[in-house]
Amino acid sequence: MTTTAPTETPLETGRYVGQNVPRVEDRRLLQGQGEFADDVWMHRQGYAHFVRSPHAHARIVSIDVRRALELDGVYAVLTGAEAKEMCQVPFFQIAPEPAGQIEEYPLAVDKVRYHGDAVAVVLAETRELARDAAGLVDVEYEPLPAVVDTVAAAEADAPLLHEQVGTNVAWHGTYDWGDIDWALENADHVVEIDRLHFHRFSSTPLECNGAVVNWDPGTDTVTVSSNNQMPMFASMVIGPTLGVPSNRLLFNTRDIGGAFGIKIGSYPQIAALALLSRKAGRPVKWTEYRTDHMLSAGHGNERVFLDTKVAVMRDGTILGFKTRAFDDAGGYLHYEPLGAVIWSQVCCGCYRFKHIQVDYTETLTNKCPTVPNRGYSRLQHLWLIERIVDIVAHELGFDPVALRKQNYVQPDDYPYETPNGCVYDSGDLPRSLDIALELIGAERWRQRQRELGRGSGKRIGIGIGSTLDSGTNNFGQARIINPELPFSGNGEAAYVKLDLYGEVNVNLGTTPQGQSHETTAAQVVADVLGVSHEMVHVTAGFDQRNNTYVAFSGTYASQFAVTGLAAAQGAAEKLRKEIVELAAFALQADADEIEIEDGTCYVRSDRERAIPFIGIANLVYSNNAVLPMELRDRYSLNCRHVYVPPFQVPDPAAKRGNLTLTYASQIHACVVEIDEETGEVAILEYAAVDDCGRRINPKIVEGQVHGATALGLGAALYEAFEYDEDGQLQQASFYDYHAITALDTPEIKTADIESPSPFTPNGAKGMGEGGGAPLHAICSAIQDALSDEDAVVSDSHNPWERVWRLVHSGERGEPRGVVVSSRDGGESVSSRDGS
Amino acid sequence: MLLESVAYARPESVAEALQALGATDGAAPLAGGQSLVNVLKHRVAQVELLVDISRLEELRRIEAGADGSLEIGACVTYDELDRSEEVRASHPLLAEVAGHIEDQQIRCRGTIGGNCCLSDPTNNLPPLVVALDATMVIESSAGRREVPAREFFHGYFSTAVGEGELLRSIRIPPLGAGAGAGYSTVAVGADSKAIARAAAVVRANGTIEEARVVLACVSPAPLRHAGMEEALRGSEPTADAVSHAAQRIGDDLEPLGDVHGSAEYRRAMARVVARRAVLQAIGKGGSERG
Amino acid sequence: MVEAGTVQAIEVTINGEKHEATVPARQLLVHFLRDSLGMKGTHIGCDTGSCGACTVIVDGRLTKSCMMLAAQADGAEIETIEGVAQNGELTPVQKAFHEQHGLQCGYCTPGLVMAATFLLRRNAEPTEEEIRRAIRGNICRCTGYMNIVKSIASAAGEAA
Repeated sequence: MTTTAPTETPLETGRYVGQNVPRVEDRRLLQGQGEFADDVWMHRQGYAHFVRSPHAHARIVSIDVRRALELDGVYAVLTGAEAKEMCQVPFFQIAPEPAGQIEEYPLAVDKVRYHGDAVAVVLAETRELARDAAGLVDVEYEPLPAVVDTVAAAEADAPLLHEQVGTNVAWHGTYDWGDIDWALENADHVVEIDRLHFHRFSSTPLECNGAVVNWDPGTDTVTVSSNNQMPMFASMVIGPTLGVPSNRLLFNTRDIGGAFGIKIGSYPQIAALALLSRKAGRPVKWTEYRTDHMLSAGHGNERVFLDTKVAVMRDGTILGFKTRAFDDAGGYLHYEPLGAVIWSQVCCGCYRFKHIQVDYTETLTNKCPTVPNRGYSRLQHLWLIERIVDIVAHELGFDPVALRKQNYVQPDDYPYETPNGCVYDSGDLPRSLDIALELIGAERWRQRQRELGRGSGKRIGIGIGSTLDSGTNNFGQARIINPELPFSGNGEAAYVKLDLYGEVNVNLGTTPQGQSHETTAAQVVADVLGVSHEMVHVTAGFDQRNNTYVAFSGTYASQFAVTGLAAAQGAAEKLRKEIVELAAFALQADADEIEIEDGTCYVRSDRERAIPFIGIANLVYSNNAVLPMELRDRYSLNCRHVYVPPFQVPDPAAKRGNLTLTYASQIHACVVEIDEETGEVAILEYAAVDDCGRRINPKIVEGQVHGATALGLGAALYEAFEYDEDGQLQQASFYDYHAITALDTPEIKTADIESPSPFTPNGAKGMGEGGGAPLHAICSAIQDALSDEDAVVSDSHNPWERVWRLVHSGERGEPRGVVVSSRDGGESVSSRDGS
Repeated sequence: MLLESVAYARPESVAEALQALGATDGAAPLAGGQSLVNVLKHRVAQVELLVDISRLEELRRIEAGADGSLEIGACVTYDELDRSEEVRASHPLLAEVAGHIEDQQIRCRGTIGGNCCLSDPTNNLPPLVVALDATMVIESSAGRREVPAREFFHGYFSTAVGEGELLRSIRIPPLGAGAGAGYSTVAVGADSKAIARAAAVVRANGTIEEARVVLACVSPAPLRHAGMEEALRGSEPTADAVSHAAQRIGDDLEPLGDVHGSAEYRRAMARVVARRAVLQAIGKGGSERG
Repeated sequence: MVEAGTVQAIEVTINGEKHEATVPARQLLVHFLRDSLGMKGTHIGCDTGSCGACTVIVDGRLTKSCMMLAAQADGAEIETIEGVAQNGELTPVQKAFHEQHGLQCGYCTPGLVMAATFLLRRNAEPTEEEIRRAIRGNICRCTGYMNIVKSIASAAGEAA
């Protein structure tokens, strides 16, 4: 079942999909020959350094750039006021009124709204000079009170971030499916959970943001060589602001050192760099350093759930829940408030809940803007649901495994329509859970736990995390946030061609950051064309000039295996058709007599009659007079395909629709050992069972599972972004933000199930983000180790001190954070809590 | 990330180094640089001149005395401590602690002198050298002087080393018959920044005759806890007695709270690590060589 | 005595090749490699010497090149990722990373290849614990370290 052993069988041509084809990317990366954003260099370039606010909230009284400009080697300084003058309009806002009134420019104007907000940018001859000059820009601030709590920010008397909006509420809506009030009234048990908090953290890609931006005065074209992972979204936002049309705002990327959604958020800096380039008349090279990245690149969503009420029947059926959610967007809306709907792709998580109500408020706070960090918005909701299931089991005495299996969407239920009209395509959650539990030896550990008892100073906990990775978004869900938005559907483009000498070339609209697109796209195309995968060359990186993109192009949101590869497959099929028909002409046979093997076309019944790809290319490119007239127009050997998933526009009023095409699952299980004296958590066993439908390259899938697991464990135990009451970020570098290391990470056992998706051309499902299962599993394991008197695990981040407090919460008589009301034969209602 | 303008010099002897340090205001010695370069990157210190002492042979020796003592040059790296036969023989705990400082890259360059002179409350070696009752040998153009480790550390970046002076070496006496050393840490992650830490040396012969219990992370400098040491002296070397003695650690401490731990947690952990370090020291007392 | 100055003349040997240069005293070794010599294989991932993306070997010692001044490298012999493969022939470590899928985005990879190379020079048969300790100074955000550990173990097995 596990794919941890390398394949030993030689690769079979025509059957690459499904095999562990070794990566073509490796050769250059292993020798340090990758080309990353900071490796790009342009003649006459200057180096840029941003001047950032030390205050979380302040008025900009004045900016004096004279001392900076006096430094020898400084080319230019750009302030927010100047940037505003140079812009046509502020950045496009996704939010409806009144948050749609937010005026954000590439640099802060009049006010700064978070610790790290950029107020100016300096261009100089060397990196060091740019940094020195940035220190010489004199900014006078008038500090203002900061608001750092997402719930407090919604209050009428909270400090206001954007005056013209008149509120810090960026979005509010109530999602209401089924009838939760009826369910709560008629349930046998109601479990009320006071407060659950999902913390702020980030995948912190090892490579920070970077770009070389050149506003070329000769052609009035802006080229952006960067590692932005959603370049067309960036273009659509900054183009109108800069007054540059799409066809003169040209993005390209190369190798990207990880992105995880964070590199969607670099468009404001890129816009500032474009203006700086225009002002200075030079290319601008920007290297973001780690501290700047932690302060300003973007954080994952922080979400608070208040007054969660869960309706449970005597037999363990969970009818549903209601909650009040507050999400923290930070100082500006970058991609938010889309997160306010994205979570609803998995509104019931892995379960068959029928009644769900979420009162959702998104607030602006004096913190770094939120960006779609790996698992974007679903992570937080899936964690809520797993906490609900875990706490219900714990409080009502149900076996956590049985309770989950009973409430899971069952294998026979697929395709399963959720309360809001999403369709779960396929899966086998109960079996996934069984495999995960077997891998960790759950029964044996349950026995050990019982034997250990109390008094040894250690506690054993067994935890489960069930999660879905919804992939291939329907962007029409943006209309649920703002009905005015002209967005819907999704898609990706690919271009497969024969080149002059018959070489097979593929261009993609994607911006891979380690997801092995060059290898997997070659597998798909090679299978369609019947060639060796080594014959297929996939261009590294993204280049707008290849004309292979749609507005949704990029690499994000667990969709490449579906959208990117379906596009590649479609383009390859078009190309194959052309090749076969040209071969049929050349070999004077019928098209259905032609077969392709290793780059040569043969007449099946007479293999002496053959023409290689080089001959096909010759007919079209350099020898086309031999083709009859009617064929000359028909073939180009340049085949472009856009894969468009079968979406409809969702219903904004009912907040319903099919919001994502595919649903991969990851079921994780773990065993932890807690040191009662210190709260330290050691992970003794860890297993992840993944189901992403048909796997194109199993080893690559497994690598993604490992990676998502480690990042989730990092967030669960080590990694957090926290602000003090003055809005100062406490973890502004890797010195304080402990990125999980090889020594912290346990062995991760993996297994796979393949439940092909009926909705995709290749049966694959997008995967990669994971769904935060480690966060759910660790919380569940800690909960399992706690006693009935202890508090519930209510925070997604559990460093040692928090665990230490939890372990001793019962003996200290602290509030448990949960109240259970039970109906006894419909008469008395009993309540059990610790307050 | 990018340093301010600074001057660099590389003397060829300790005497030259002292001269360079004394001649310029804002001169600082540069050894492994594993802390100082970070400080410079974040532009939080005014350093005008870096005096590179990392290659000075005089500062890189490990000399074992016939009596089991060790004299360790200030520029000996953590990696060299970990792999030194002399250190492993006479002070295996020092080798072990050094071998777990952060990571291999830092261990290949970071030095015992730098670790001590930076005097960050979360550093690994200051509490250990205090527990081992080391002597810090300081050199200036005027000559050498010796400062007991327990008086050497004042606070963050502040030690007994003054202007125009250099830490030359650290002399660690033998543990002595019946004595053992222990060390316990609660850290953010494996081999990572300490939240609470204690080092202890205990000599027992039926009862505890001598105890040195040093707490780190709870005060600007490593703190020998007189209360716990007093409670240990004369007691039986048992787990109960040690737990009882550890109760002396309490509100007398005023640790700082930060993102890694509140003051309350650090105080509670100080008790835990002190207890564990002492138990470890007792456990090793029998087998340690004098 | 190398006299005090804000600019220093240095001579370094990198992957067997001698280079003479004049460097600002404040220039970090990693910037000297990347910007002055155009050797882009050594990467920068942080500003506190925490991530190891900049790892090279200096005079036989595993070193984070962002934690050292270029001026300190005067007279040193430095090995970088560019010097590992010989004429395009990958070493057992590099081959193992390829076979075991020990890299995804590739940004941490040069530093890890150096760390693995250093480890196996010292310890030809490391345990899993020893491997993890040896790479604790190299952060990877993509792989979860599993296949990296397998790669190094596999390379050790090959050499044995």
